[in-house]
Amino acid sequence: MAFDSYTLRNQFPILQQTAYGYPLAYLDNAATTQKPLFVLDAIQDYYRSFNANVHRGAHFLSDRATNHFEQARERLAHFINAPKNSHVIWSKGATEAINMVAYGLEHLLQKDDEILITSLEHHANLVPWQQLAFRTGARLRVLPLTSNGEWENEYQKYFTDRTRIFAATQVSNAIGVSTPLKTMIAEAQKYHAFTLVDGAQAVAHYPVDVQDIDCDFYVFSGHKMYGPTGIGVLYGKSQALEVLIPYQTGGEMVRHVAYQATEFNLLPYRLEAGTPHIEGAIGLAAACEFLTQQDRPALLAWEQKLANHVYTRLIKEGGIELYSPEKNTTLVSLSVPNIHTIDLNAYLDSKGVAVRAGSHCAHPLMAQLGVSGTLRASFACYNTLEEADQFCDVLLEAIEILGDD
Amino acid sequence: MTDFPTPHTVKQQLQACRSKEETFKALVTLSKALPRLSGEEKTEDNKIKGCESAVWLIVEEDAGRRYFRADSDAKLMRGVLVAVISLVTGKTQQAIQEKDLKAELAELNLSSYLTSSRSNGVLAILQALQA
Ligand SMILES: Cc1ncc(COP(=O)(O)O)c(C=O)c1O
Repeated sequence: MAFDSYTLRNQFPILQQTAYGYPLAYLDNAATTQKPLFVLDAIQDYYRSFNANVHRGAHFLSDRATNHFEQARERLAHFINAPKNSHVIWSKGATEAINMVAYGLEHLLQKDDEILITSLEHHANLVPWQQLAFRTGARLRVLPLTSNGEWENEYQKYFTDRTRIFAATQVSNAIGVSTPLKTMIAEAQKYHAFTLVDGAQAVAHYPVDVQDIDCDFYVFSGHKMYGPTGIGVLYGKSQALEVLIPYQTGGEMVRHVAYQATEFNLLPYRLEAGTPHIEGAIGLAAACEFLTQQDRPALLAWEQKLANHVYTRLIKEGGIELYSPEKNTTLVSLSVPNIHTIDLNAYLDSKGVAVRAGSHCAHPLMAQLGVSGTLRASFACYNTLEEADQFCDVLLEAIEILGDD
Repeated sequence: MTDFPTPHTVKQQLQACRSKEETFKALVTLSKALPRLSGEEKTEDNKIKGCESAVWLIVEEDAGRRYFRADSDAKLMRGVLVAVISLVTGKTQQAIQEKDLKAELAELNLSSYLTSSRSNGVLAILQALQA
């Protein structure tokens, strides 16, 4: 294999530590990933060498900062194969990007219009639509997907002439399945609905081509793909971005302001009020570059191998409910009857294993699965087979101790 | 179910633990002494806010003394509940309020395994006991 996670790991200084005397096994990558030196250096370099506000000063540093900032946009556009740089709008993250769309489309919604989401959504791709429905009198509808990420029968009936917005995740954060994205988008397009894809859990693992997906909007967060926190992207087709009412206004997004009226700037600036997160944009661009330099299919194959290794080991044990699929996923989501996931988490933590227990911001999905929460181990390119085994070993120990009734 | 332990036994059991693993085992053992609440008793009103797992607490008074019944859907938390309740049950409100429960829990080795958000839950429980 062209890549070796043990070497790549050296790029991540944070991983070279122990937790309570045990090797730290960081398996909470679906929540946030660690950052390689390449990204850390890019951020440092910005502050050490060319920090200035962008698009403003006609001076040496401001020109440099602006150049790097706009190059960052270009790199992101390239990373997701957006046709033009101006289709990339900076946001705080996936959540803010979805809110930008939910507020920006409000003026086009009417009573009894329908907003369709899937049953696998993170609250970030659910609550903004629900609240939009409350504000406009539109109806929120939920397209049921099975826990394998497949269609329920008769899915077509959920798409109607009233469907104005269809929002779906590409990969479920809670159970790791990929959704049938392209067929869903194609179906929504028959009804001329706006389509939004939540790529938060996809970008770190899968190559993304927004033109191929053909959605109107695509959103993701930098911190889940080896980039910094507080930065993310709203991609949109030009016609789609053009109709959005800016949900924030202020400086940077204007061309001319008088007390009577304001002329807004062109895209992308029209949707980026205020001084942007310059350091974040530069750091995220560095994360894209870091990923692009890797053998990405090999990274994905490795992450899937780790998840599959854990899945295979645990299924053999019996008595463990697995909610993630056996293959084609980079995480394992499970529960153990009669043992609270929080207790499992506490035990794993005490032995240096960092995972996530709970509902994963997906209460309705947990209800569909009939659990209050799951334990999730999620893998990144720097994880090792030893860490996967450490997780399994400690989990089995925890079950032994906590299962004593 | 075993008898509700005295503060002395709780102390002996928890202080004897030499590792986190032993503390977990001791908490599991303690948890078995907690009489579970019925479904009707697990109301929103009885629920303590701020805990990662669901925790319910019922306070009863008899002849000026307070008795506590509690439950949680997490076993380790039930063990912790047995430990804290043993410290306060059967005492007057004033006596309970005068106690430094945080310090007593720390003496029982309990601060060590509690993660910060989890101990926030425990702090909420202590507040409820001392209310
Ligand atoms: C599928 C999915 N969508 C959206 C989000 C929200 O991302 P952020 O909190 O970075 O805005 C997350 C993060 O957990 C996620 O997993």
